[in-house]
Amino acid sequence: MPELSIEQFQKLSQQIYLKLGLHFDDKKVYFLKTRVAKRMAALGLVDPKDYLFRINYADAQGIEMQALANLITTNETYMFREYDQLQAFANYCLPEVLSAKQAKGDKTLRIWSAGCSSGEEAYTLAMIVQEVFPQIQSWDCAIVATDVDENMLRKVAAARYGVRSVNDVPEEYREKYLTRSGDEYLVKPRTAALVEARHLNLHERLAMRAMRNFDFIFCRNVLIYFDDASRKAVVDQFYNSLNKGGYVFLGHSESLGRVSSAFHMKRFDNHLVYVKE
Amino acid sequence: MSVLSEHIEKLTSADEAERSYAAEDLGYLNEAAGVPALLERLDHEPSPVVRDAICQALIRLDGDEAIQGAIGLFASDDAQIRNLGVEVLRHKGDRSIPFLKKAMQEGDQDMRKFVLDALSGVQASGTADLYAAALADDDPNVVITAVENIGKLRAGEYVSRIEEILANGEHPMLIAACLESLAEIGNESSLAVVRRRFPELTELPTFFLTPYLKLLGAVGREREFVEIALLLPRQAAHICPVILSALIAIHRRCIHQTCPPPELSQAMRDVLETVVEGRDPPACRYQAARVLSFWAAEDDVARFLISCLESSERLVRLGAAEGLRMSQRPGLEALLLKHTLAETDIDVRPALGR
Repeated sequence: MPELSIEQFQKLSQQIYLKLGLHFDDKKVYFLKTRVAKRMAALGLVDPKDYLFRINYADAQGIEMQALANLITTNETYMFREYDQLQAFANYCLPEVLSAKQAKGDKTLRIWSAGCSSGEEAYTLAMIVQEVFPQIQSWDCAIVATDVDENMLRKVAAARYGVRSVNDVPEEYREKYLTRSGDEYLVKPRTAALVEARHLNLHERLAMRAMRNFDFIFCRNVLIYFDDASRKAVVDQFYNSLNKGGYVFLGHSESLGRVSSAFHMKRFDNHLVYVKE
Repeated sequence: MSVLSEHIEKLTSADEAERSYAAEDLGYLNEAAGVPALLERLDHEPSPVVRDAICQALIRLDGDEAIQGAIGLFASDDAQIRNLGVEVLRHKGDRSIPFLKKAMQEGDQDMRKFVLDALSGVQASGTADLYAAALADDDPNVVITAVENIGKLRAGEYVSRIEEILANGEHPMLIAACLESLAEIGNESSLAVVRRRFPELTELPTFFLTPYLKLLGAVGREREFVEIALLLPRQAAHICPVILSALIAIHRRCIHQTCPPPELSQAMRDVLETVVEGRDPPACRYQAARVLSFWAAEDDVARFLISCLESSERLVRLGAAEGLRMSQRPGLEALLLKHTLAETDIDVRPALGR
């Protein structure tokens, strides 16, 4: 079966960027080629040109783009995933927001982990916040972890994780914030208390409107599974949910650029984040 | 106060989020009476978020009023508002066609161009006379947009008309658009028309060369393969990927149609090896290695590709690995296995060891 040429790869990666906000550079040529070959085989297509046509102009519902998204993304979750991005949060964004709040005498901090799955991200944020700003215990701090799946929310509430979930937790954090219990790790109560699990469907516009006054929204590797219209609706709602000066964090290869022009982009080291100014 | 009036009133709230929600609610309410209020607000709304919410509401509203209102936005002096009109109409499908036809017949050249923008990439029925009129338009921008749309849709029924425009056209953008469009459609008859207009490939300015190469890639044969390959040393680096893509496309078609692939001349080999080993971008070097691998059955070429497995550039190693693997030369298995064990790159390894 003919393969994707470099030019076709570039066209396709542009389309993936437009539709999913995911960036694939030339280094990913092999990765994308093999995934596209799988999709072409499944569709009975022989020429990559036909696949490109289909995805560009004959996929009004975004069904094929979704099928490709499922092959090029991973929904694996674990603590301290995308560590560099968390460093940008810890080193730049969080201190900036905290000092602005301190200057105003505002002692609240609200973080939203949207599409939190089993809660690893929310607890990671709880650890980082305590590490960066130990006084947080005397603040009104809430890390709201939302998901549509009740089973996942029960896992968040249990705050109990297997070895795979905590593999990337730095040793000093592990000792400070987790307790080993047989083959599992429990999040210590002081840290767990910062996280509040809540049921929320990101597609329910009226329920979404109740999510207000957040300083940070983390929605990493979630929007890629949405169609264009839903992605846009969620991102617009994020804008309304944020305080001025608040940040949105997406997955490291995701982008808001094509979905919304409302946010301003900031670069910290190698990471792009979006801020409501 | 009715729900409708309540939402309309909130469209002027001082709170940005409230205005955004009001627009969204008017969309969900789906009453035609909400359209004028949304359009009126759009004219004064400073927030891009609320403007977007109004656009989404107009998309959601089912009635013809939203379509007519969106066409009316084309007359705005604000480019963002005009673009929102295009965005709304792209979502309206076949229902918008009668209104777009009317606008095409009655509007000035700007209106006619926006109508075609709204149809760009949209598979809608009943557009034949609209495109026929657009291709005969006096304004070159209207014709260019129509030609581009037709290419994107690969609408073969317009090939002869586009070939005619290409044969007689003077506007450079229009000529380039025709070449691009004919390349997308991929009709072999187009090549003769293009050859008559541009007999000498080497004398073409870059502006035309890129779409011409795409066309050659789409419909060219052995003769074109050699002609294109020999352009490599004469053209600027940024044309290199287009040249190589055209070569790959022609070779692919030769194999598919079981016609003999072109022979590798020494000149072609030298040119391709120079690109693989040179300072072009890695993606370009990768492509050149893939093109060379068409002749991996020849010992000299195979030796060269094997030496590429030691390259410090991962994409060159990848191109050589894929090319050698596809050549199915006897005795390669052990060699590729040896390189698999030494390879550290996560993408190159599976290409070697597949």
